[in-house]
Amino acid sequence: MAIKTLCEAGMEVCALNSGRALDPEKDFRNHRMPWDLKYRSFGDPQLAKQSEAGFVGDTEYVEDVWEREFTYTTAPGAKWSWARCSAVGGRTNFWGRSAERFGEIDFRAATLDHHDVDWPLHYEEIAPYYTRVEKMIGVASTVQNRPSNPDGDYLPPMNFRCFDMILQTGAKKIGVPYLPDRIAQLTVEHDGHPACHFCGNCTSGCEVGSFFSTPWFLLPKADASGNLELRTNALAKSILVDEEGKASGVSYLDRATKQEREVYGRAVILAASCLGTTRIMLNSKSRQWPTGIANSSGQLGHNLCDHLYGTPAAGYLPQLLGQPSFPDNVSDSSIAWMPRWQNLNHPREQNFARGYSVYVDGGCWEFPAYYDQIEGFGSSFKREMKRRYPTPVTFTSQIPSLPSAGNFVEIDPVAKDSYGIPKLRIHFQWGENEIRMWEHSKKACADLMQAAGGVVEDSSEEPETPGYSQHEIGTCRMGDDPTKFVTNRFGQTHDVANLFICDGSVFVNGTDKAPTLSILAFALRTSEHLIEQFRRSDSFQH
Amino acid sequence: MAGQSVARREILRSLAIAAGVAAFPGFSKWSFACGHPQQSLQPIRPSAYQPIFFSAPEYTLLERLIDIIIPSDETPGARDAGVAEFIDLMASRDVELQHDLRAGLNWLNKHSETLYRARFLQVSFEQQSALLEPLAYKKKFRKGEEQGRKFFSTVREYTIMGFYTSEIGLKELDFPGFRFYAESPACPHKDDPGHLHLPPPKG
Repeated sequence: MAIKTLCEAGMEVCALNSGRALDPEKDFRNHRMPWDLKYRSFGDPQLAKQSEAGFVGDTEYVEDVWEREFTYTTAPGAKWSWARCSAVGGRTNFWGRSAERFGEIDFRAATLDHHDVDWPLHYEEIAPYYTRVEKMIGVASTVQNRPSNPDGDYLPPMNFRCFDMILQTGAKKIGVPYLPDRIAQLTVEHDGHPACHFCGNCTSGCEVGSFFSTPWFLLPKADASGNLELRTNALAKSILVDEEGKASGVSYLDRATKQEREVYGRAVILAASCLGTTRIMLNSKSRQWPTGIANSSGQLGHNLCDHLYGTPAAGYLPQLLGQPSFPDNVSDSSIAWMPRWQNLNHPREQNFARGYSVYVDGGCWEFPAYYDQIEGFGSSFKREMKRRYPTPVTFTSQIPSLPSAGNFVEIDPVAKDSYGIPKLRIHFQWGENEIRMWEHSKKACADLMQAAGGVVEDSSEEPETPGYSQHEIGTCRMGDDPTKFVTNRFGQTHDVANLFICDGSVFVNGTDKAPTLSILAFALRTSEHLIEQFRRSDSFQH
Repeated sequence: MAGQSVARREILRSLAIAAGVAAFPGFSKWSFACGHPQQSLQPIRPSAYQPIFFSAPEYTLLERLIDIIIPSDETPGARDAGVAEFIDLMASRDVELQHDLRAGLNWLNKHSETLYRARFLQVSFEQQSALLEPLAYKKKFRKGEEQGRKFFSTVREYTIMGFYTSEIGLKELDFPGFRFYAESPACPHKDDPGHLHLPPPKG
């Protein structure tokens, strides 16, 4: 977003991208059937075992796209799974497309419940940026008038499938919302991008660009300006500083030759994902910034937040047993969701603070993962597998962790990656508040299933490993007080006026919403703030 | 319903013409997506398959097992879908799986000899089923057969993985995805949101 915004404003941008560029034809194979793939989409078992990373992003639908090396360690007792996609466009190539606005209830959460701190801005200040981003990327949904979920400017919604209709009847009975999610999937042609054809393999990458990703939607515009120089396989190592401690450029490694190079500029923007940005900053030590650049507050790396993901319930709907198959999997994500319904009338309705949301999916998928629920073998087993095909339902809780002093990242004093760059060390534990929400979500989803006439067969005892959601935020928080926050309300670091951050690390806390739309909105605002300052004077000011 | 399935080539052609995506600088290059690279296509049933990992007797036993798990009956089964080849391929790349399967196949023969004084392939279908049922149904579990249960669960899992990712297996389920739909498919029973009055399933 920053690249496009700056290039279109006539500024020359040199973009460093740590991975390779993707070729939609070769790299996105979303229309291939599993039997077209050597290992039937499960991937080469040997490669999976060789991979260091707890999360293996590569399937046979995408290969050589996700990083295999761990660039972090975890503190004793901590677990973290950090999936890194360094290809051009990063994780936007494969994201879940859930694009909800944060609301005033999120920006003012601390005022309401006295936990932690508020954001340094009100919803009204960011609302116009949300509107512009929604117009740029295309988001399908409906106007819902929910207190926690401001409505936006939407394309026609995705349609509900049979199991959505059934679950919605259950939701009405127990008084919880069951609504179309805000999903960045083009239900109609939008701004020159073709309408979605609903093949349903979106998280393998879209061959035709019918949902937002940086390479499909933003980089072509940046490129058309003639102001972009994109350097691929350029792994940013640290920020260079001048005598006054201002940012003068970036030191990076050419991954092919492992040679160190430097590039200089009037301003530096970091958008390397929350932890990537933080690692670069902590590794940017100098005489002026002995604990990492722009870290006079000592807050750089602190307040790491994540979404607790888990399966609070999974089961099936007997109403659909034996019915003909139906194209339910047309989004590879959730078309429906249950937006936050807790603590809305009063911040202390529940035994936890704030709230969570739940995504719902089910129906006929490409792999019948419910086989574990059916015992036995033979013709009866085979018949039951087919009978159950239209019926499965799975819930996914999206639960924000509260900022906590124990959850932070620092530079590991010993461990270095294969490029010799010091690794991050991650300290993280789920807190009591998020575990309470997790338990609440198990009961809520079981109640919903019961009300809808469904059968709950399973729920995961434990939530997923921290980091699994890929929604990490908060390590370079924004706030007005330079002694407590890394950046100001515009994502500009308090200490270094020409260093800007355009990713989720500037977020003050998590919400029940997915972060991508907000990252784009804040990045647009930060970029325009930078442009305005640049035009006003030669040197950046706060 | 408005959805329709057309050949992928046609989809991409129509989409590309509609959107005018001929020049595309966002990725390293854009070449028109008519011909998909097909080099990874697997031959489904070579006439005489040479196992990569299993010995010939092991492979024959494996083929029998997968045939029992997902049989060819009114519709094609695991054998028709070449599932043993898939398992052989996966095992050839996975040392742990090799060990589990080889040890399990041995266990199966020994167990059959204990029960029937003959190896698994030499006994009747009824005897084979009677041996496998206590491994497969919780109610019939027996003490001392833990290794067999674990093995059966592994073979069953890989049979399911191989079968329901094959063309035959997904046809069995009538998998409706990875196709072209003109609009987002919608529930056709809007007047019955609870789906309590659907026509009875066929068959």
